[in-house]
Parts: sequence; structure tokens; C-alpha cells
Amino acid sequence: MTSPSVSVESVTKRFSGHTAVNKLSLDVYPGGIFGLLGPNGAGKSTTIRLIMGILEPDQGKVSLFGSSDGSRKLSARIGYLPEERGLYKKMKVLDHLIFLGETKGISRGDARRRALAWLERLGIADWALKKVEDLSKGMQQKVQFAGALLHDPDLVILDEPFSGLDPVNAQVMKDIVVGIAKAGRTVLFSTHVMEQAERMCDRIAIIARGETVVSGTVAQVKADFGGRHVALGFSHDRERATAILADPRLIARVDDYGASAELKMADGADPEQLLAALVREGVGLRRFEVVEPSLQAIFITKVGADPAAIPLPAGVAA
Amino acid sequence: MKKIFAVIRREFVERVRTKAFVISTVLLPVFMVLMVLLPGLMMSGGDRTRNVAVVDASGSGLGQPVGKVLEAATFGDAEGAKPRYRVQVFPADAASLAQVRDGLIAKTGFAKGRQHDGWDGVLVLADNTLASGKLTYYGDNVTSPESMSRLRRDVSEALAGVRLAKSGVDQALVSKAMAPADLDTTKVSDGKLTGQSGKASFMIAYFMGFVLYLATLIYGQQTMTSVIEEKTSRIMEVLTSSLTPFQMLLGKVLGVGLAGLTQMAIWVGSAFVLGSQGARLAGAFGVSAEAARSFAIPGIAPSLLVVFLLYFALGFLLYGALYAAIGAMCNTIQETQQYAIFVTMFVLVGFFAVFALIKDPTGTLGVTMSYIPFFSPFTMPVRWSMTSVPLLQLCVSLALMVLALLACVWLAARIYRTGILMYGKKPSWGELWRWIRA
Repeated sequence: MTSPSVSVESVTKRFSGHTAVNKLSLDVYPGGIFGLLGPNGAGKSTTIRLIMGILEPDQGKVSLFGSSDGSRKLSARIGYLPEERGLYKKMKVLDHLIFLGETKGISRGDARRRALAWLERLGIADWALKKVEDLSKGMQQKVQFAGALLHDPDLVILDEPFSGLDPVNAQVMKDIVVGIAKAGRTVLFSTHVMEQAERMCDRIAIIARGETVVSGTVAQVKADFGGRHVALGFSHDRERATAILADPRLIARVDDYGASAELKMADGADPEQLLAALVREGVGLRRFEVVEPSLQAIFITKVGADPAAIPLPAGVAA
Repeated sequence: MKKIFAVIRREFVERVRTKAFVISTVLLPVFMVLMVLLPGLMMSGGDRTRNVAVVDASGSGLGQPVGKVLEAATFGDAEGAKPRYRVQVFPADAASLAQVRDGLIAKTGFAKGRQHDGWDGVLVLADNTLASGKLTYYGDNVTSPESMSRLRRDVSEALAGVRLAKSGVDQALVSKAMAPADLDTTKVSDGKLTGQSGKASFMIAYFMGFVLYLATLIYGQQTMTSVIEEKTSRIMEVLTSSLTPFQMLLGKVLGVGLAGLTQMAIWVGSAFVLGSQGARLAGAFGVSAEAARSFAIPGIAPSLLVVFLLYFALGFLLYGALYAAIGAMCNTIQETQQYAIFVTMFVLVGFFAVFALIKDPTGTLGVTMSYIPFFSPFTMPVRWSMTSVPLLQLCVSLALMVLALLACVWLAARIYRTGILMYGKKPSWGELWRWIRA
């Protein structure tokens, strides 16, 4: 196999006593989309900043494209969207994009052409001559997105690229990210939204408390997780299911969403037994399906907390 | 290199485009034009011949000689110059003094309205005036220090003449003896006449010191603010992934410096034009060239301009780098103040040293200060304008300046490298030292 685009070897980073990243290792191979998943405060952004050379690791080694030169020397090949979005507020959108292109080493004329093409593609061409501060937050994010991709980088690193976007814009961005991967380039992005990662990523790494919990291809992660899973959708009489769902002989774990739930069957229990019990109690079912475990379910089991929420008190989720 | 140019261009273009920049750039030359024109316009009433009533209650006929001297006083020395005063003597005695005086005062202050019997002022000579020199003037122009000192001088001359004549000295001899000394000053540099008057040198020195002081404070602080803005807008994180701290720092300081230099060039240039064309301009506005000349901005010698611009550029970069480093250390403008005060202090000391230097440009203080890189941008151009500075001194001073600049940029880049991504916490002095050594 070719050398990884990004290789993080046993990297540790501490901030005044608190360990943000602890002996973390991950390899991102060329092509495809790599998802860096984890709850808030897991160390995703710190990991990405370490990869970008914005932070120096206390221990361990980061290499990009098999070289340890650091992202700045290789900046012409890397596009970066930081979690904290920042643009010069007083600059005109087009000028700003040209400037960002220039800092990546593209000529002015070339940068202008590409910037205009990107603005067109993102549907904000009319705003090219407006000041950045006049744009809505979503539009500013698009501009920054374009700035990160302007120089056609081989490796695109996006920190929470879809946060703060409305569904329509999120869709536009998603299509672009998928397009980049299809063109044979590499995307590494972080998110705490599992459904999104599950649909887009080829490979993932789930990190929590600065350490890798699971990593591999999505299929592999699911296969390794094992067990039989059932997705339920309730139509009426939800409360009658409560006793059944609490039965440890049938159910190992419940992921309750109210109108729906994802269950992990207890060892030796059969989904048919569960279905029979539910029907007997008169629970109205909209959906009953034996499924692969979702990343969300895997995540909760492995990390012991809801990825999107602040860590829950022990025992509630498990 | 290409990337530094991109940063310089961005800093320069974005700064020059702002309204504040355009307005301040245009405003100063306008202000300078007004400086030339306004005093002339305001003074245009100043060379009017004043009607002065002399009330002579001296009892010794003092009124006649005083009146004669006053009538002989003219505006300027030229042949056929306008007389300063039109005098009429009113004899009075101790009894009628109050009545005559009050009658005249009642008509004082109307002369401007071209009333024929109006007076600009009433000069009262009392019986003890000759002995004590005490006399009283009532007038509408008593608040003008120039008019009053002029009047005092003229009356003193008249009294001295009368006193001498009483002692038997010949009147012709008196007027010859009383002819005032007329001092013309011209600056000598390297054994050559520069054609500048002493007053002009002072004006230039002061003007340059002020411009540098202003520019360093304004543009230095702007550099600092713009670093803070980049930190708070978090654009730094994008930039730092493609630019080195040195590129960012140098680009920023040079970009802001260029904007400052552009503004200075426009200001100094318009001062230059005004200096050489001021009289013509004044003429075009109907102000007498005479009145305008005394307030004109003097022309600047080309060598001085070169020295000034050289020191301006170096000084600005030096201070700019320091201010940028401070910006990198802090998170808010408020926070910067406690660090910036040290740098500002250097600027202030440098600027105020100019005043001491103007008195003694070749003294130890001046020479020492022009070797200290933080002060030499202020002191050297001033010394250059006022005395002849040995070329060796200039070279050593410039060399030290360049060394200090490199050291400062290096130091600032070290601080910048770590500081620009530090959010939240302000570094202690110990931490700062670690950043520099790291």
C-alpha cells in the first residue's frame, strides 16, 4: 500500500495539566473520506491542529505525504478549514479568496479565475464584490470553504465542516466533499454527527478523551462490534413496551429515541421472541427491522456517552 | 517571497482603501494650506494705520516728541511703507485730564467702522510719565501682544529721546544712537551657506519630529490592532497553515509601513510644494505675500529629505515589529496597553528629546541619542537639519539602526510564532522568555 497521506504516530498533547490527546495514532490513506468522530471535547480539533502543525506535539510524530516537513512547506497540497472560522471582515469576498489563493502559492490571475468559479459553484457569485461582513454566516462559511479548496489540494482537512449550516447548504457542501473524494483526492473531516459520518465515510476513527476507541472501515467497525440489532418504530401504545425493553434476558441495551429505538439483543435472545412479546402486549409497531448496528449505537457503547451531548452520568446510557 | 508580497499588498491595499486613511491624508495638506492662508487673512487688518489720540497731561510738552516718534513708525523698512499710527495730540492739565480722556475713550473702538472721529486707542501721558516711564494706553487692540510690544518699544524710544535731549544730547545723535540692531540669521552647514534661516531650521526640525512621532504612534498601534483583529477573527489559523510567522510579521509591518510612508510622502510633498509656492498661493487668494511669508512652511533640503525618509522607514519598521509582537502576546486591545506603554515611552522620550536637541544639537545628549536605535529616528534628522553631522556618525547610527531592526524583527517573530495562536491566557514574563528561546 502507498504511504499514508496523514500519519499520526502515538502523539500526545497536554495543555497545562490536562491531556487533550493521549498517545493517539491514526493513518489516513490516499483517496476516500476519513471521518474523525468523537464527542465534544474528545480532542478532534486538537488532533487536526497537530496534523496541521499549528500545535506541536509534546510526544510522538506527525507526517504528511510520508514527509515530516510540516504542513506549511506542503501547504500547496493541503486545504484546511479550521473549526473556528475566520475571515477578514472588511475585505471584499473576491479579494479575500484571491489573497487566500496567493498564500497557497497560486498566481493572482489564476487565483481570481478559480475564486470566481468557486463563487459561481456555491451560488454566491453576486456577492463577489461585497464585504465579508455583509454576508450571512452560512455564506461566510461557504467563502471559507472555497478558500480552503481554491488551490485544488490533494489532501483536504475539514474541522466540523457542516456545523452551523442549514440542510440545503449542508447538502451542497456534502456533494462537494464527495466530489473531491471521487476525484481521487483525500478528505479528512471531523464531526460529532454520526449519521453523517456513517453515510459519507469510507474509514473512521472514533476518539474519546484523547484516545482512539475504534478505527477502520465503517463495515469493519460494524462487523467487529457484532451482536444482533433491531430498529423499532412505534405507532401507538409506546408505554406498553417499557417492561419488555427493560427485560435483560431479551435486551442487552436500548437506545431510546421516544418514537423509535435501537436495541441490541441479549446473547441467546431471538428477535422473533421480542416481536412476539411486543405484539402480545399490543404495542403498535410502525417498524421492526433486524439491522446492522449504527455508528451511533457503537459509539454509545464504546464511549459510554451520547456523542452529541455532554457526558451523561454513568449508567443512564448503558 | 511571493507570499510576503501577497501579505504586503493586502495590508497596504486594505489600509489605503479605508475612509479614515483617505480623509486623514487629504486633511493635513488642507490644514497646511490654511496655516499659510489663515494668518495672512486674519492679519490683513493688522497692517492698518491706527488712529491714536495722545492726551498730553505731562505739563512738559511730552506729547509732541512722542507723537513724532509714533508717526515715524512704519510697517516694514521699505521706502514709502505705510505708517503704523496716525497721531493727534490733545493737550490737557491735571484738572481736565479725566474729562478729555473719557471723551476720547467714548469714541474709541469705532475707527474700524471708518468713522472719521473714531479712535483705535488713547495714550495718556501723565505728569510723572517722563520720570517714571508710567503711562496708560486705552485701546481695542490691547489683547494683541504684538501690537502692544510694538507700541511699548515705540513709546520707550520717544521717552528715551526726550530724556537724552533734556540732558543736552543732540537730537540727531539720539536718533542715530537709537537705531535698532537688525539680526538676520542664516544656517551654515559644512562651511556652506544653506540659505535657510535659523527659524526655518527650527520649523523643519520640529515638523519632522512631530510627523515621525505621530506616524509611529498611529501606525505602530495600527499594526498592533491588526494583529489582535487577526487573532480575534481567528483568520490566523488559516494563515498560519500556509505562511510562516516571519512572513506574516514582515508582510504586515511592511504593508502598514508602506501605507504610512505613502501618507507621509503626500504630507511632506505637499509641505514641500507649499514651502516653495506658498507666496504665490497666498497671492492667488488675495493675501499679501508679506503676511503669508512669516507663516510659510520652509522648504526642505533634498539631503535632509533623504535622511528623514531613511530614518522614518527604519524607525517605523523597528517600532512596528515591537508593536506587532505585543499584539501577538495579547488577546484584546485593552490588554495590549500595559505592554504597549513601554514602547510608547520610547517614542515619547525620542520625541521630547527633540526639544532639548533644538537648543544644543551638537551636545553629548544629542550625539548619544543618535546612536541609540530607538531614539535615533527622532534625533538624527533633527540634528541633520540644524547642524552638520559628520558622515561617520550618520553611517554608524544607520548601521546600529539596521542591526537593531533585524534583532527586533527576529525577536518579534519568535514571540509571534507562539503568541498568535494563544487565545485566552496572557503570557507571564517567564513564559514570554520561553517563547523567545523555543
